[in-house]
Amino acid sequence: MSTETTSAPAGQPTGPTRVPPPRTPGGGTADADAAAAVASASDRGARVVAVVIALAWHTAIGLPAVLAAWPDLTAPTLVLVCWLLVAATGVTAGVRLLRGRPLPAWPLAVLLLVVDGLVFAAAGERQLFTAANWVWGTLGWFFVLVLWGRRVAGLLVLLAAHSVIALLAVLGHGATTPADLARYTMYVYGTSSLPVAVFAGSAAIAALARSRADTAAATNALVTERDAAERARHARRAQLARVSHTADEVLAELADGRADPADPTVRRRCVLAAARLRRLIAESDDVPDPLLHELRAAADVAERRGVPIDLVTIGTPPPLPVAVRRALADPLTATLADARDRARLTVVAGPDEVVVSLVVPDTGDDPDGPDDGSPDDGGDPRVEHLQERDGEIRWTQTRWRR
Amino acid sequence: MDADTVATVTDERPIGVAIVDDHPVVVDGVRAWLAVEPRLTVVATGDDPDEVLRSAPHADVVLLDLRLHGRMVLDKLAELSATGRRVVVYSEHTDPATMLAALDAGAVAFLAKHEGREHCVATVLAAASDRPYVPPALAGAIVGDPRPDRPALSDKEREALLLWFQSMSKASVARRMRISEHTVKQYVDRARIKYTRAGRPAATKAALLARAIEDGLVRPEEIGTYRSHASYDRPTP
Repeated sequence: MSTETTSAPAGQPTGPTRVPPPRTPGGGTADADAAAAVASASDRGARVVAVVIALAWHTAIGLPAVLAAWPDLTAPTLVLVCWLLVAATGVTAGVRLLRGRPLPAWPLAVLLLVVDGLVFAAAGERQLFTAANWVWGTLGWFFVLVLWGRRVAGLLVLLAAHSVIALLAVLGHGATTPADLARYTMYVYGTSSLPVAVFAGSAAIAALARSRADTAAATNALVTERDAAERARHARRAQLARVSHTADEVLAELADGRADPADPTVRRRCVLAAARLRRLIAESDDVPDPLLHELRAAADVAERRGVPIDLVTIGTPPPLPVAVRRALADPLTATLADARDRARLTVVAGPDEVVVSLVVPDTGDDPDGPDDGSPDDGGDPRVEHLQERDGEIRWTQTRWRR
Repeated sequence: MDADTVATVTDERPIGVAIVDDHPVVVDGVRAWLAVEPRLTVVATGDDPDEVLRSAPHADVVLLDLRLHGRMVLDKLAELSATGRRVVVYSEHTDPATMLAALDAGAVAFLAKHEGREHCVATVLAAASDRPYVPPALAGAIVGDPRPDRPALSDKEREALLLWFQSMSKASVARRMRISEHTVKQYVDRARIKYTRAGRPAATKAALLARAIEDGLVRPEEIGTYRSHASYDRPTP
């Protein structure tokens, strides 16, 4: 009994056959979050500036002026109450804004406009253009606070409403001299231009930052994807190079006339190389049952030489990694290339075990040629490889167990 | 093919075989195959099981094509098996599910049409004496049986079935498993006998089981263990 048993060389380096799992460009959502974070961070400085200006101006300039002008104000208490109301609103809105959870904009805007009208009325004619009528200087900044992150048009509408209220107050107080109107125009321009500039500037910066972060994230994803594809390609190329080496050799020898096409050994080498190339090509095909597809590809080569092949499959193989499929199919490729008169290829598959077997008649000659040692044995430790010949049959069996 | 199966058939009377197939060329082919075995004689042929059996009521074995006039005749198979007819199904439909369904329906054996004369003669001879014969295709179907309620096979039985399916040579299986050919056949046949408990009861299954016990292939308690498998699921008081 000449039974030799070879098990898969577990210690053999697996080489570049193992394709690393592609790093998913799925950073997608994470990258989008990053873009938002970048935009929010660049925006934050401007928000702090807006809050500080509004509250500092309100406290340092508005309040002392109100207190100093107290006796001259028409209704000083109302002016102070409005001041406190706006101060409280400003602090709340500012804190919420810095925490990223701004208060609803339009109710606050309406409140501010109401305060605007009340203060203009309560300040009286003599304090119309003084610092004690604090709505001139401060209110624009509070508009900025409550409308932060929205379109500039909203701010312009509020400022326009503010200007109309101021104009009505000016006219109402009978300040209709050209000097008064000129002063009104100066005040409107002076108190509106700076808030608009800060608001528009910060909006532009945030938009720019967001778009830059988006671009960076997209570029990053692209690079990762390309990197993964490149790795997979390299792995396949390395495999192809190893497999096609034997093909190159025999083709070169045939071209030089060193190898004789009539020589059975040469023909055998041709068939073997073709079978391996064919199997490698089949490996990347997207089919529902890749193992059977690859085995069929290998069987096909032998069949074309006129060897009748009996391919019987029982059960459906579970999804197997390419390394396991390779380890299951490759050892059979060489034997299949040698098959002369008939071959029986069987697959018995269950969810936890796949057994592939190839049986060919044992012709007695020793086909263990120089290139018979499967160059790409896969070496997956989960796949057991048995090779036997008993004078009657040559039996190759590979077996994967989960 | 199995020498011991052949040797145990000692009846002087030749074994009568009825062939039911709707293709005359297949009938002629099978008749030619069986003609080389002197202990077999074809007693009736036709494409309708009832007619064939009316003309040869004492046929020992019925070779039945599973597909007659475009229809699968599993129900007819079950009916014949229930009345004790030894039916050997032969078919080109060799998907494992069909083969197992035929066994469940009570077929004594299942023969794939491509399996050839050798297996055909051996199967019919074994069937005539109520002994199992498992051709390689059927071995594959049994070893790959995915049904959750399939009979429980031992590791050796599974391995013998698998290797027999792969190599179609009991001598090679014996060498590979380092046991005798006789033992290989015993493992394979024992697995087959366990399938007499699958599906609904039939006279043919009972006959196969009784003969297996008589031959010492299985012990009654082995089969008993399998039969009471389900009832043991209940908690014992």
